[in-house]
Amino acid sequence: MKDSFQRTLWIARVTFLEAVRQRFFAFLMVLGTAMVLSSVSFRVFDFGHGELKFIADFGFGGMFFFGSVLAVVMTAQLFFSEMDNKTALTLLAKPLSRAEFLLGKFFGAWAVLGVFVVVLASLLGAVLWAREIELVAAAEQAGKIPTTFSASGLLEFVALQWLRLGVVTAIVLALSSLARTFLFAVVVGSLAVVAGQLQWIAQDAVLKPTDSVVYEAFLWVSCRLIPNLQQFNIGDALVLGSAGVPAGAVSTVALSGLFYMVAYLFVGALIFRRREI
Amino acid sequence: MRRFAPWVASFALIAGAGVFAEVSWRSVRPSIPEIGRKDLEPTLGQGVLLGVLGGLRTVVADLTWIRSYVLWERKDRAGCEALMRAACALDPYSRYFWEHTAYVVGYDLAHWEIRRRGGYDKVPAEIQDRLFKTYARRGIDIIEEGIARSKVTTPLVLSAAQLAEIKLKDHKLSARYYKQAAEAPDAPWYAARICAQVMWEDGRRQEAYLWFRQFWISRMLPRDDGYPDDLKQLRTMEEVLGIRPADRIPRPSWER
Repeated sequence: MKDSFQRTLWIARVTFLEAVRQRFFAFLMVLGTAMVLSSVSFRVFDFGHGELKFIADFGFGGMFFFGSVLAVVMTAQLFFSEMDNKTALTLLAKPLSRAEFLLGKFFGAWAVLGVFVVVLASLLGAVLWAREIELVAAAEQAGKIPTTFSASGLLEFVALQWLRLGVVTAIVLALSSLARTFLFAVVVGSLAVVAGQLQWIAQDAVLKPTDSVVYEAFLWVSCRLIPNLQQFNIGDALVLGSAGVPAGAVSTVALSGLFYMVAYLFVGALIFRRREI
Repeated sequence: MRRFAPWVASFALIAGAGVFAEVSWRSVRPSIPEIGRKDLEPTLGQGVLLGVLGGLRTVVADLTWIRSYVLWERKDRAGCEALMRAACALDPYSRYFWEHTAYVVGYDLAHWEIRRRGGYDKVPAEIQDRLFKTYARRGIDIIEEGIARSKVTTPLVLSAAQLAEIKLKDHKLSARYYKQAAEAPDAPWYAARICAQVMWEDGRRQEAYLWFRQFWISRMLPRDDGYPDDLKQLRTMEEVLGIRPADRIPRPSWER
């Protein structure tokens, strides 16, 4: 067990180093950073929202959009580079199981996504904090109630985003285990992200009564097989307190994310075990 | 059978995760602004979907709003309303979107419709009146939805009162909204005065005077300068209603 853990960790470490050296990671990091920092300049396009909300939304958007692109493309690229360069063959010839290899890939890619999310969230926190000081001073002068943001809420949101990207990574790995080409894994992985973000429409529809058994069965299966990625999207409520978050809701969502990750990694390992390399 | 066991297990795992996700989704559902299929469908292909996917909701709402104004300039009734409603759905906490959508629907759409039917000379007056009232009612419905979904209520209630007064010509409804706004903790100073005026114009003169008098004594007199202009209006009401001097509001020291 200990040896297995060490082997997985070793693969994860190598994957992490390989990923952070990629230009693609640096490119997306620069884009995400630019998006967060430029949010202050885009305030002129804001129509009556709280200013902090507008800035926060830019950061959330950057984390969601570039994070998803990174999770899909980087994970598939890391997996297929091992296949195409035949390094996977060399690695798997050693006492390393396919499940350990896949888990190592997962943890390596997930760690990179953690770095990405933490860097963007730190920048977002700094921008929000700097603007909050100015807004509080202005509000005090005008005798109004100042708008503020919650740093602990931002931390919770970061954790949730990291888990969401973990679920995406697990799905892409499962797809990559099945796919023959990098392009297929990226396209289907991207569609899975979009489907996951819109899954709640099916989930809401399930709760409404319907006459068609086939439709109901279709919705039921869709809700169980496609992950609900929208549930991680409660940044407004957590960071700006736009709506209350019930006690324990964040941990329930986090647990749900972990369940999804385990389930998709299990499927991925199962498919990868039968794959011809 | 043994061959399929891992696949059955993996299906059960995913289904289990799905069942748990339903529980977690229910717990966070109220924290996420609702946007339904009916809000999305008329705007498909215009980038609104990006706002629903995650993050960027405010930004997409703003861009949708800008795009709706392009359609407003073209007087495209359906497109303009659909995009404005989409902006409201994307950011339901924004007072601006609700208020301006209601204004456009309540004040502008009827004019566009009349022009589309041939202009003010061709469309009979009663049909024009019906159109103004129909769209005003829709505008008020939008504000009602905004009141329910956004956090800012008093300014929206005032907008509803204005629409009811000017376009719907329903003074009873308008007075009810003005009263609701005036009695709110963040009521603007003019809400009570207009409320009394609307009630007065509706023929409920005695009721208007009694309500405004009570409001002025309890809410206005102790604050700031005592609101002398409102007292002046109350004195005019007392004159018109012929209230005996002994029953009138006692004269404050500062009254001229």
